[in-house]
Amino acid sequence: MRRYLRVTRVFLAATLSAGLEYRINFVAALLSSLGNSAVALLGLSLFYSRSGGGTLGGWSYPQALLVVGFFMLAQGFISVVLQPNLNKIAEAIRTGTMDFTLLKPIDAQWSVSTRNLNLLRLGDVLVGVAILIWALLQLDGVRLGGVLLSALLFFCALMSVYSVWFMLSTTAFWLVKTENITELFNGVFGAARFPVAAFPAPVQLALTFVIPVAFVTTVPAQAVTGSLSPTLGLLAPLIALLLFLGSRLFWRHALASYTSASS
Amino acid sequence: MARSRLVTPVSLVKARVLLANGFASMTAYRAEIIIWMLSGTLALVMMLIWMAQASRAAGGEIGGYNGQDFASYFLSVWVTGQLLVAWVAWELDFQIRQGTLSPQLLRPLDPLWVHYFHHLAERIVRLPFMVLLVALFAWLTGAHFSSNPLDYLIFLVLAMVGFTMRFLWEYCTGLLAFWMESSTALSELNWLLYAALGGFFAPLSFYPPLVQDIARWTPFPYMVGLPAQLLAGKATLAQASWGLLVLAGWTVAFWLLRAWMWRSGLRRYGAVGA
Repeated sequence: MRRYLRVTRVFLAATLSAGLEYRINFVAALLSSLGNSAVALLGLSLFYSRSGGGTLGGWSYPQALLVVGFFMLAQGFISVVLQPNLNKIAEAIRTGTMDFTLLKPIDAQWSVSTRNLNLLRLGDVLVGVAILIWALLQLDGVRLGGVLLSALLFFCALMSVYSVWFMLSTTAFWLVKTENITELFNGVFGAARFPVAAFPAPVQLALTFVIPVAFVTTVPAQAVTGSLSPTLGLLAPLIALLLFLGSRLFWRHALASYTSASS
Repeated sequence: MARSRLVTPVSLVKARVLLANGFASMTAYRAEIIIWMLSGTLALVMMLIWMAQASRAAGGEIGGYNGQDFASYFLSVWVTGQLLVAWVAWELDFQIRQGTLSPQLLRPLDPLWVHYFHHLAERIVRLPFMVLLVALFAWLTGAHFSSNPLDYLIFLVLAMVGFTMRFLWEYCTGLLAFWMESSTALSELNWLLYAALGGFFAPLSFYPPLVQDIARWTPFPYMVGLPAQLLAGKATLAQASWGLLVLAGWTVAFWLLRAWMWRSGLRRYGAVGA
């Protein structure tokens, strides 16, 4: 465990010094984080300004803000941690550098998942946290237990998102390019911007059970507002655990059939 | 030498060859093209939500739109958005950074045209899948489209000019790579502006008055919202011709900007050691 922490520190320092080379990029990335949230808020406020202080599928404005906050946070997690690491798997397999990773005396899945961080996109995380705090301040009757539960559920959600991304990227052992599959993930993930209740009934079911986007943003927000059904609350960690195990098994299976680029 | 071919129009023969070449290379990417099509879901997500909102509202409509009207508008927005896709900023950024732009400069042809016709060719590959998907969505949602053939003709013209505008704009963004380390972060900002003011979130009349006033001076509502309204049968001929005029003005402005950026950028590029 100590070794893993030490290696993490080395990885972090390396990506930080690489990232600081591009200072203008940081400003541009920060601008696009702010723009991103401004657009999300504009999209949201359109629903409330028109229907005369109405609701979005029964959600009040601050409640829906929670969803937007979780969405930005999840987006930040994807662009800071997942994208820079997992998109490199395909390249590493193609060019043969994956072999070096596999030879190292640390867990390969862990290593390919944490080697790079895109700190430029930290703005997304900050904006997400700011929106969440803003929403919490506007809501009445928020309980500490609800907030803690929501944090736990969101952690499970990130685990699920990681696992799905990781499995999609692992297909690179058989397919040459995976960027397009992750592109498709982004397309579907866009639906997480709004509470699931805002969609027509059949779509709600699909977003909860077929493509469980609901668990990433709606379920943690429900934990805060106290409208979470126990079934969904229990299902969330279960799904996260299953997906994580799935990603682990899939990775093992992929490695077993990997013949390396050079041998 | 570079100066002589700065704004040269492309000859018809070259155009035909470029288009055929683009078509051949794009058909190789048909799986990817379908995936790209499917990943542009914003208009569809907004469609579903607005339809649900309308069905819950008193009288079944919001701001003069019932569920079917929303379906028609957003499906049209989706179609228009598909016709306006441009990825040239990413390609230019890559070419300038990696130096693969250099061999292109040796050809007696402005690289702009290669990109432009490749984009057009990709539209042709996209078209059959697009029509299929729209037909499916329209059947599922009960969307209805304009019955006036003239609307479709003007739609095509508007979409063509709109695409050219978006293409030039993205081209200028990509050319920024001559001066900046990475222009792709800006490309994301571009998309946000385009999506917000173009009308991807709602018809423009739903926006706050201040935003509407700002949007009117930008090319975006005429690139997406207006052609979409034409398809949905909700725009008049007068609106369409005014929009076309504004859009043409913006396109000329960006054409000149592109020419100027290309000239001064190339001078810089040469100085770096290409």
